[in-house]
Amino acid sequence: MTKPIIEMKNIIKVFPPNVVALDSVSADFMQGEIHAIVGENGAGKSTLMKVLYGLEHANSGEIFFQEVKIENKNAGEAIARGIGMVHQEILLIPEYTVWENIILGEEPTGLFGKIDQHAAREQVKSRIDEFQFNLDPDSKVEDISVAARQKVEILKLLYRNVSVLILDEPTAVLTPQEIPQLFLELRRLAKNGKTILFISHHLEEVLELSDRITVMRKGAKIATVDAANTSKDSLAQMMVGREVLFSSQRIEQIPGEVVFNTENLSFRDANLRIRLENVSLSVRAGEIVGIAGVEGNGQLELVNCMMGMSKPFQGKIVVNNCDLTHAEILERRRFISFVSQDRSKMGASIKDSILDNVRMTHHRLNPKFTHWKGLLLNDVYARKFTAQIEKAFAVVMGSADNEFRSLSGGNQQKVILGRELLLDTPFILLDQPTRGLDVGSIEYVHETILKMRGQNRAILLISADLEELFRIADRILVIFRGKIVADLPVAQTNIEQIGYLMLEGREKINAAKTD
Amino acid sequence: MQRKLISGIAGILIALFIGAIIMIAQGFNPLTTYGALFNYSLIGLFPLATTLRNSVPLILTGLSASVAFASGPVNLGQPGQLLMGALFATIGGLYLDLPPVLMIPLLLLLAMIGGAMWSGLAALMRRWFNMDEFITTLMLNMIADFLTYWAISYPIFDKTAFSPMTPQISTNGWLPVIGEFNTNVIVMLVAFGVIYFVFSRWTAGYEWRITGQNSIFARLGGCKIDKNYVTVMLVTGALAGLAGGLVVMAGPHRFLKGLGANYAWDGVMIAVVANNGLIGTLLYGLFFSSLQTGALGMELITAVPSEFIQVLQAVIVLVVVAGRGTLDILINKTISRRKAREHAT
Repeated sequence: MTKPIIEMKNIIKVFPPNVVALDSVSADFMQGEIHAIVGENGAGKSTLMKVLYGLEHANSGEIFFQEVKIENKNAGEAIARGIGMVHQEILLIPEYTVWENIILGEEPTGLFGKIDQHAAREQVKSRIDEFQFNLDPDSKVEDISVAARQKVEILKLLYRNVSVLILDEPTAVLTPQEIPQLFLELRRLAKNGKTILFISHHLEEVLELSDRITVMRKGAKIATVDAANTSKDSLAQMMVGREVLFSSQRIEQIPGEVVFNTENLSFRDANLRIRLENVSLSVRAGEIVGIAGVEGNGQLELVNCMMGMSKPFQGKIVVNNCDLTHAEILERRRFISFVSQDRSKMGASIKDSILDNVRMTHHRLNPKFTHWKGLLLNDVYARKFTAQIEKAFAVVMGSADNEFRSLSGGNQQKVILGRELLLDTPFILLDQPTRGLDVGSIEYVHETILKMRGQNRAILLISADLEELFRIADRILVIFRGKIVADLPVAQTNIEQIGYLMLEGREKINAAKTD
Repeated sequence: MQRKLISGIAGILIALFIGAIIMIAQGFNPLTTYGALFNYSLIGLFPLATTLRNSVPLILTGLSASVAFASGPVNLGQPGQLLMGALFATIGGLYLDLPPVLMIPLLLLLAMIGGAMWSGLAALMRRWFNMDEFITTLMLNMIADFLTYWAISYPIFDKTAFSPMTPQISTNGWLPVIGEFNTNVIVMLVAFGVIYFVFSRWTAGYEWRITGQNSIFARLGGCKIDKNYVTVMLVTGALAGLAGGLVVMAGPHRFLKGLGANYAWDGVMIAVVANNGLIGTLLYGLFFSSLQTGALGMELITAVPSEFIQVLQAVIVLVVVAGRGTLDILINKTISRRKAREHAT
């Protein structure tokens, strides 16, 4: 580890029209090291790697590879130079075998361009043996596990003789048992002189695997540190930019009557796979109930069933003693305020005006928003209402006629929160309401949620962010493979216990004693 | 709005320029050609009246496509809906005889019912069998084509004629002509005004617009998107049907073979050029009508064949549609480049 193999200097990337994704970032990577790039969502770690790989083009800045200035116009050029990237989503042809997938695009050919199958298979086999990957070159990709598919993706790049491997959140798709195996293989690659850059936001695995760590925040590089000389806490602090608050600031409050509950809610998808199994939960007035879980364990299905987007095959949904299981969406909206996790897909129509986004749902439920018995829109009232949200939720907006997408992410979320909370419903469903927001906006959203709790609303908060749940929830339920596996008051649990439940679906044995 | 106007006018000018190059390459004088073209479509009462009259089916079918596309349904059945509207109005005109005050509105209503019935069929197939209206409306175009051809060849065939056509409808159903101007323009403007008002000011129009942009958001917000879908299909079918009825009532006063011409496909093209904007549809409809109307005059005065107008139309579509996207990208790029420079210093 003497001279850096890659040097990135003052990289600036602005996404049109004006989102600064990388703000003069400089970083260097040594030959044969494992280098982690960490940061929160939207910190710019993926963008930095995409610039290196040629998928995005920087507005300014320079990249040196082995001391030669390079500019990768596309991924093909990057691979030709020896820089390869494995994406989060695995892009292979399921019907093809492992070796066929690996040689695809770089086939050894014989007479008349015919693929030399024997040579191709042997070449792949020798690579598998060289790196001890424990893969059968003849099995079909559709028959092998996700972890093995990831190996195929890595092999695909090794087959093209790359010297630098970029991995985008490689552990996100793996089960906890598969992670050590991947780490072992990555270390072996590094020992063989390959440079490994990997993006992650799991601090523990970053500390375990990497030699050096680059921390990014809001498009800027904060620091590059040796893994040996740092700790999880200091990394977290650099990532978030302040001391991470684990303590909550809520005032104790005795919850009231049960406002919302589900009984044995069960849902099957189109392939008849059970996605929700006997979900029974209740939320009381003035209570925030959190649902923790790794994404994809039934949260989406639960939300869809509650909102009437999917039909459960069994069970009941009740708000204030009204059975809403089979109610139309509009009927549900009299009782449920809903903030979705995806602002642009579910929470707003981003190309329409702020005004048109604000009056959604109100236009059907509140007669003040229309004239002539609901036939004609009342623009005057809608404008007044928009101004009210602008003031009450401290939104920075120009004219209400501007497109919704002209607002920043935080302001978009404030407008959505304003619209939903002013529906004045007894129950509020929040699905990852702070996803992709900056720290200041997150704080604001949390304060607003706590204020709603003070107004005796019943609140269900679905979140993948445990810190968030511990900060504001009163009770945490854990969802695992479509089942609620735990229901714990926040005061009687801790992050480690919930984290274990999320990953394993059951309590750690002797948790209290060994920790 | 301003950006749209600039990119539209710039697009048309560039397209005319490209058209001029094509003409020069073929040895024609572009100035005299364009002069003849617009002389015969815009200068003077009669050319202007003809342009306006010809614009009616273009604008109404364009409006039908614009409203449909902007609200979600991909209704491409304007040609069939136009023919069905024309057929219904013709049948009404052949078998009924009322005073004009009643007759004209009744025939217009029949035309709208004919078009709405045809698009409603596609809507029902979507609701019952989950068949995509993109396919079914196209297929129904063919059926309408042959159904009307059969109708004017056999059951309501004019026995004195030598080619498939119906007898003339009752003169009480003819649209009155004021000076040079046919009143079909008035009917079109009323329809445009109603649709514009509904689309931009009514609660229903609001839900259509939002559904067209983001149907999941609209659904979660409590809009009844299935019901809205059917309504939009019926309304846009009725608009195309009205276009058909007006073609019969303003023009030959009978249904003859090839009546629909290319009106409906040109209308769809106008909707695309106007990016589904209603006012844009009106303006582009008038402009395309002036090109088509002037084409014959151009052919008369110069040696340029009238088919050249089709080339010109195609160039306009390409330049305006491509230019719209390019302009946005250019503007965004300039902003981001400026921002990058700020951060570099």
